[in-house]
Order: sequence, then C-alpha cells, then structure tokens
Amino acid sequence: MTLKRRTVIKGLAAAAWLPLLPGPAGAQAAPILTRPIPSSGEPLPLVGLGTWITFNVGNDSELQDECAAVMSAFFDGGGRMIDSSPMYGSSQPTIGYGLRMLNYPDSLFSAEKVWVSNPAHGDGQIDRSLAYWGLPKFDLLQVHNLLSWEEHLPRLFEMKEAGALRYVGITTSEGRRHRDIERVMAEHPVDFVQITYNILDRDVEERILPLAQERGIAVIVNRPFRQGSLIRQIEDEALPDWLPETGATNWAQFLLKFIVSHPAVTCVIPATTSVEHVRENLDAARGALPDEALRRRMIDYVEAL
Amino acid sequence: MSEWWTYTLSDFLMFSPRVYLRLIERYNEKIWPLQIVFTVCTLAVLPFAMKRSRFGAVAGFLLLAAAWILSGWQFLWERYATINWAVSYFAAAFMVQAALLVLFALREAGTDASPPTSRMASYGGAAIALSGLLVFPSLTLIHGRPIATAESFGAMPDPTAITTFGLLLVSWRRSFWLLLPIPILWCLFSTLTLWSLEEPGATLPLAAAIITAALLLLRSGERRAAL
Repeated sequence: MTLKRRTVIKGLAAAAWLPLLPGPAGAQAAPILTRPIPSSGEPLPLVGLGTWITFNVGNDSELQDECAAVMSAFFDGGGRMIDSSPMYGSSQPTIGYGLRMLNYPDSLFSAEKVWVSNPAHGDGQIDRSLAYWGLPKFDLLQVHNLLSWEEHLPRLFEMKEAGALRYVGITTSEGRRHRDIERVMAEHPVDFVQITYNILDRDVEERILPLAQERGIAVIVNRPFRQGSLIRQIEDEALPDWLPETGATNWAQFLLKFIVSHPAVTCVIPATTSVEHVRENLDAARGALPDEALRRRMIDYVEAL
Repeated sequence: MSEWWTYTLSDFLMFSPRVYLRLIERYNEKIWPLQIVFTVCTLAVLPFAMKRSRFGAVAGFLLLAAAWILSGWQFLWERYATINWAVSYFAAAFMVQAALLVLFALREAGTDASPPTSRMASYGGAAIALSGLLVFPSLTLIHGRPIATAESFGAMPDPTAITTFGLLLVSWRRSFWLLLPIPILWCLFSTLTLWSLEEPGATLPLAAAIITAALLLLRSGERRAAL
C-alpha cells in the first residue's frame, strides 16, 4: 500500500512536470544556484519551500498526497530547505507524511521554529515538532516572530553546542519589530535571520540586509508574493519587453529573481500547493540573476503598474 | 502581541478556503444522515416550544445539548482543530454550553408552567430558529456549491448557534441569559473567520446574535411598559 502511494506521488509530480519539458528528450535543467551559509560555508539553494497555509491540510489524505507531490518535485528539482512552524496548524505532520513517502531525501535542510510564550514549554514543543517531521534533529531552529526570544535563544545555542541542532535563527514578518531583530543580530551569534522582503516591501534593504552581510548572518526571505496578493495584483499586467534580461519567464520568477539577486539573501521560501509552481519557483534559482541596474529597473516597472 | 495595529484579519487565517470546504464535505459524508435527524426533530419540537409546553422546553434543550456536543466534539475538536488550533478552545466551550443546556432541561422538567413571552420574541425567535434550521443550510445551494458542503443544525457550529438563539427566544426566561455568551462569542469568531475567507454569508452568524440581542431588548422594553 505504501509503495503504491509513493508511486502515485512520484507520478503526480512527474505528470505535472511533463508539459514543461521542452522536447521529447527533455533538456538538462541548468544547475540550481546556491549561496553559502556565512557561518559554515555550506551551500544552500537560493529557493526553498515555505508551508504557511499551503501545507495545513488536516487529515485530508488527498491533499496530503498533493503536498507530498510538491515536495517530491521540490527535491527532484534540486531544492533543499523546507520551512515550517508549530503555528502552521497541520503543516508539520503534512511534511512528515511527505518525507516518509519520499524516504527522507538526504538533501533535506529542515528549518523549524519554536513558538511558545512560556520558555519552559520550548523543549516539549521542539520534541513534538521532531516527532511530526520524523527526524532526530533539525538543521535550523528559529525563534518564531521573536516570541520570548530572550529565553529561547540561549536554549537554542545550548542545543547547537550539544550537537542537537546545526544552526540557530530568529524570524519576523511583514516588517514587524525590526529594531529588535537588529538588536539580536548585533548582539547574538545567530546563524540565520528570517524576514519579509519583496519588490514592494524593501525596508530591510536599509539596515537589516547590510547588517546581515556585516555580521555574516544568512537571510531567509518569507512572503515573497505577499501571501499571493502581489501575484494576483500584477498577473494580468504585461511583462516587460526586457524580461529575458532578468532570466525570468513569468511574473513569479520575475519577483523571485529580484529577491535572490540581492547578495545578502541566502534563500527565499515561496509556498505553493502546485507541482507546476514549485518547479517554476525553483527555476528562478537557475541561469542569470539581475545586476543592480536591472534590479532598479524591475522596481520602477512594478511600481509603475 | 506587539505592533498589533499592523495585523489584519487575513494574518490570522491559517488555511485555505479549499481545505475548509473539503473538511466540511468529508465530515458531512461521515455523519450522514444525522443532519436530517437533527433538523427534522427540531422542526417537530419548535411548535411545542412556541406553545411554551414543558415537553417543548425540555426536548428543545436536550436537542440543543446534543447539537452542541456533536458539532463541538466531532467537527471542532476532531476536524476543524487540525487546521485551526484556536478552535480547540471553542471545542471545550461547546461542551460547557452542552452541560448548561442539560442543566436547564432538568430544571425545565421540574417546572410547572412557563410564563407567557412576548409575541415579538416568540415569532422573532421562531424566525431565527427556522433560519438556522433551513436557510443557513440552503446557502450552499444559493451560492452554487455542492450540497455536500451544506452546514446544518447539529452538525456544524454556525447553524447550531443560530438555532439556539431562536429556541431560547421562543421559550425565554430571565435566567436563560447564561446560555447566551458562548453562542455569541462563537458567532463573532465565526464571522471574522468567514469574512477573512471571503465566504458568502460571513456576516450571518453575527447578525443572528445582534438580532437576538435586539429582540431581547425590545421584549424587556415591552415588559417595563406593561408594568
């Protein structure tokens, strides 16, 4: 039964990919671009996979299979980082389901969060998250939205020291508490910071991204499409004539290439329920990336729409 | 919650409309035909409740208690809470509401005669009960959705809360206010959730709560004028 299910999931992922192949032979895709995690030098693909809303499917086995197919296509396309949180409803068990179906790909880079106001409950929550994923330890644990960060961070550093964790991080979203994030980045040896950054929300360019470069902190970017609203806002607009210069072929890649072309960005984590979209997203991490002049042109174009 | 003014309703929405509708659809299939049983029994009891008979009050309260147990346990706790952790607190509140309803049913069983209520409260309550029993489940067809996604009394929290308002109004006693806070809180929560999902009919649960409160105020005014 399990084998059959795995076959179906692989088949779902493959079937969604077939229309995108350029010809019968299927040309070899360009290698996925990576950027090193500053604290270790470990290369990480520029595009990861977020799970907010999209993987919160409860016990619906049909939707769990769809998510597993997305994960299958993600790993097949060279993706590594999957990011989740205890706050995301059933996303954690859905990831665990997909990982079991895919026999736990070696390339997985697991990014989780601790999200509980009472620090005494942090260890228990991390244990539950590990059980949901079916992993002995996470690659990265982040303090979600700075919740009780003064208490959680020391514990995460202890876990890293003990080898129960590889990297420590902290997150925020939608521009909230940037002063606190800056303080953490300046005063604590975090490996990762997760923030919101997209072509219209560029506050982090002023202080946080330069500080990350200065302090050698990897940057994960969430909400690249403003939870889908940015795509819906511009998808009916004409793409620029100079689109090929960006290396993108559609709006989603246009927006993602803008983000990952910032040298401080290590990885962007768009979320999707579509195998076709996860492949498109990964393709944003292949080929050319815009230079500074082109990035300015991209901003001007989108702001003028 | 820091910088609370920067949050919008959609920031708290953690699942997609598609997942929510499939959840209802699969749940309805699982408990069928309890939806019909609850609706038919409550429609049958409604005229007795309007006549303020002891049977009408006791049967009405017991039906309501069963509806709060089923929708709270089977839908909220077993299903909805898997995609919305905040709902698990409401599941507990639904059990409290069911316990209160059973206590009130026992009390009504030992009471001789119900004092007359105002015609406005009685007919208004009946209209609200009928909207929970018949109108709310029909919304799914009006909006062109499969009947399997219909939300019916007993099975789902919104029509259960709305029908509760109606039956309480029909057989109102002063002490029944104890039975209002949990349905009102649920209707507020549900309207906010459905609003952020951009669901048609999102305002109906809260509207039912507001109309109930308005009818109770009017009833109170009538009684003061009669004294």
